[in-house]
Amino acid sequence: MTLVSRIQLRGLTRRFGAVTAVDDVWLDIADGEFLVLLGPSGCGKSTLLRMIAGLLPPTEGTLHLGDTDITHQPPQRRDLAMVFQSYALYPHLSVARNIGFPLRARKLPRAQIRAKVAAVAETLDLTALLDRKPRELSGGQRQRVALGRALVRDPGAFLMDEPLSNLDAKLRAGTRAEIAELHRRLGATMVYVTHDQVEAMTMATRIALLDQGRLEQLGTPAEVYDRPASVFAATFLGSPAMNVLDATVLTVDGTLSARAEDIDLPLGIDATMPDRPVRLGVRPEHLTIAPPGEPGIRAVVTGVENLGSEEVAQCRSGTARVAVRGTRPLGVRTGEALTLTARPEHLHLFDVGSGRRLTWQPGAVPAAV
Amino acid sequence: MVSGTFVEAPPLALAGEAGVRPASRETGRSRARRLAPPYLYLLPAVVLLVVWTYQPLAQTFVLSLHSWNLVPSTPMEPVGLANYEQLLSTPELGRSVWRTVVVILGMLPFTVLIPVAVALLTRRVRGRAQGVYRALVFAPMLVAPVAGAAVWQWLLDPSAGAVNRILGTDVNWLNTTGTAQLAIIVITGWHVAGFAVLVVTAGLAGINPDYAAAAKVDGASRGQVTRWVTLPLLSPTLAFLVLMTVLLSAQWTFPLIDTLTQGGPVGSTTNLYYLLWEYGFRSHDAGLAAAAGVLFFAGFIVVAAVLTRLAERLSHHDD
Repeated sequence: MTLVSRIQLRGLTRRFGAVTAVDDVWLDIADGEFLVLLGPSGCGKSTLLRMIAGLLPPTEGTLHLGDTDITHQPPQRRDLAMVFQSYALYPHLSVARNIGFPLRARKLPRAQIRAKVAAVAETLDLTALLDRKPRELSGGQRQRVALGRALVRDPGAFLMDEPLSNLDAKLRAGTRAEIAELHRRLGATMVYVTHDQVEAMTMATRIALLDQGRLEQLGTPAEVYDRPASVFAATFLGSPAMNVLDATVLTVDGTLSARAEDIDLPLGIDATMPDRPVRLGVRPEHLTIAPPGEPGIRAVVTGVENLGSEEVAQCRSGTARVAVRGTRPLGVRTGEALTLTARPEHLHLFDVGSGRRLTWQPGAVPAAV
Repeated sequence: MVSGTFVEAPPLALAGEAGVRPASRETGRSRARRLAPPYLYLLPAVVLLVVWTYQPLAQTFVLSLHSWNLVPSTPMEPVGLANYEQLLSTPELGRSVWRTVVVILGMLPFTVLIPVAVALLTRRVRGRAQGVYRALVFAPMLVAPVAGAAVWQWLLDPSAGAVNRILGTDVNWLNTTGTAQLAIIVITGWHVAGFAVLVVTAGLAGINPDYAAAAKVDGASRGQVTRWVTLPLLSPTLAFLVLMTVLLSAQWTFPLIDTLTQGGPVGSTTNLYYLLWEYGFRSHDAGLAAAAGVLFFAGFIVVAAVLTRLAERLSHHDD
């Protein structure tokens, strides 16, 4: 068994006929890392996980665990544990036999299996359920048995395929904390697939955001949230999603600002450059209501949503929709005209064509637009 | 100073929220119209069952209490339980039951073991080859039993038959007591194995592939996955096949026996069904045949009930 369970994906690609499910993904997952593969359904995240598990051979690329190339090793020899979305608990076996299954496959003596199963059951609070069959368990209990089956054998790394998606909201929050705690305690490498941004933000040490089989962004939750690499990343994370508006960067009195018919936001950069159309992004929580007459985004409130502690004002600015989020009460009413403003550091600019993030580089010679 | 007190919020008055339930005022006719459709849908099937299954069953029972030679002009004579007494006192019945058991045991490899092996192996064949392979396995099922029997008779011919030539033997397969039964079993097995492969394949397709994937990741070898996961999950299908074999083996052999051996030599291939048929249509003793039919019917009900209960216990609710 390798002590260092660093997982490297080198250009992994998987095609199903004409469809490319995973497209040239390079990832270096450090030992002890909690990497979340995040993306909408159909982005290839589960396919990627199945390739890591060895359940699906890659069309191209290689996979390394520690120093060994495991691209062509069968799943049995990869020393990885996996928790399935369906849990895949063997329906004909009791909880104890389900948890002990990986040890039985490794031909451990029976007494040792029993002791290990008992220990794992103890930590997961499953001791009273050891003789039950999976069908006699609740969703949360099944989830814990699936986790127990992964935990029982000290694997090189844990792979989890949307393990919380079948739980109700309250249980999900609790289990989220439990899995994060488990990761801290074991210090094991985890690769976790989800479409739920809350799971990604709360549990990950790094997020790999996938879209249409491609790696869109890789970074800590804070990096991905604060500096989204593209319009896709910007709008995928955050609730409500980041507002993205069409605007043009103009030089006004030696300083740059984003302008459109209803938009006038200074970018806080003292420089000159040729006009450039951009997509302007700003998170709902970064918008504040400015006194009338101030520059900003002119909008009309179309509705106010009460979230309990906060309120979201849905607005319309020209043809675009803009959401504003703040502590309740926001003090606005439907039909009211507002000017919304945001600090320059909270404004994100994206290229109109590629959707990639634009960063200011002082001194660079601007390309003609 | 103003005095006051805290007042508890009153519980919600649900009736006020939901309103009053409308009184049901349904006429008998509209009620009938509402309740009738399911029974109307069932009607054709029920009529067919009654006409073709339950009525003949009742008639058989009535017939078993009479003596009749199948000639329409001769009257049926009520004889009470005499047919049953005669039946139970003949040694032929016991022997034919034993031969039926042998046929069933001999059929099990063809309906369970070989199909499971073939279905598990053909899972790895992909694409068009898989379809071709399965079609080849299923093909014997499509050959009419009597036509198949004729070809086999020719293959088993003691002097010029291909079987003797290939085996280098000189056996009179169909006219020797031991080998005749064997020939009947093998030919019937050849006939139905394809169907059983199809059933097993369907059963395998119904197993969530996540189980095998999980077992592989858990470190189970290919053989362990088959033994510990796939076969246990397939057990309801296997129980179904065993049930089919027990209940229908003797029926499947009938056309072959009638074509190849006519129950011989020396009655060595006369199983329950063939015996029943001989009583009815060779000895023209309709009452005795009917009594035998009723007895077998009762016996198979018991066997079927036991096997069904066993199958239910084996099935795992996969959810």
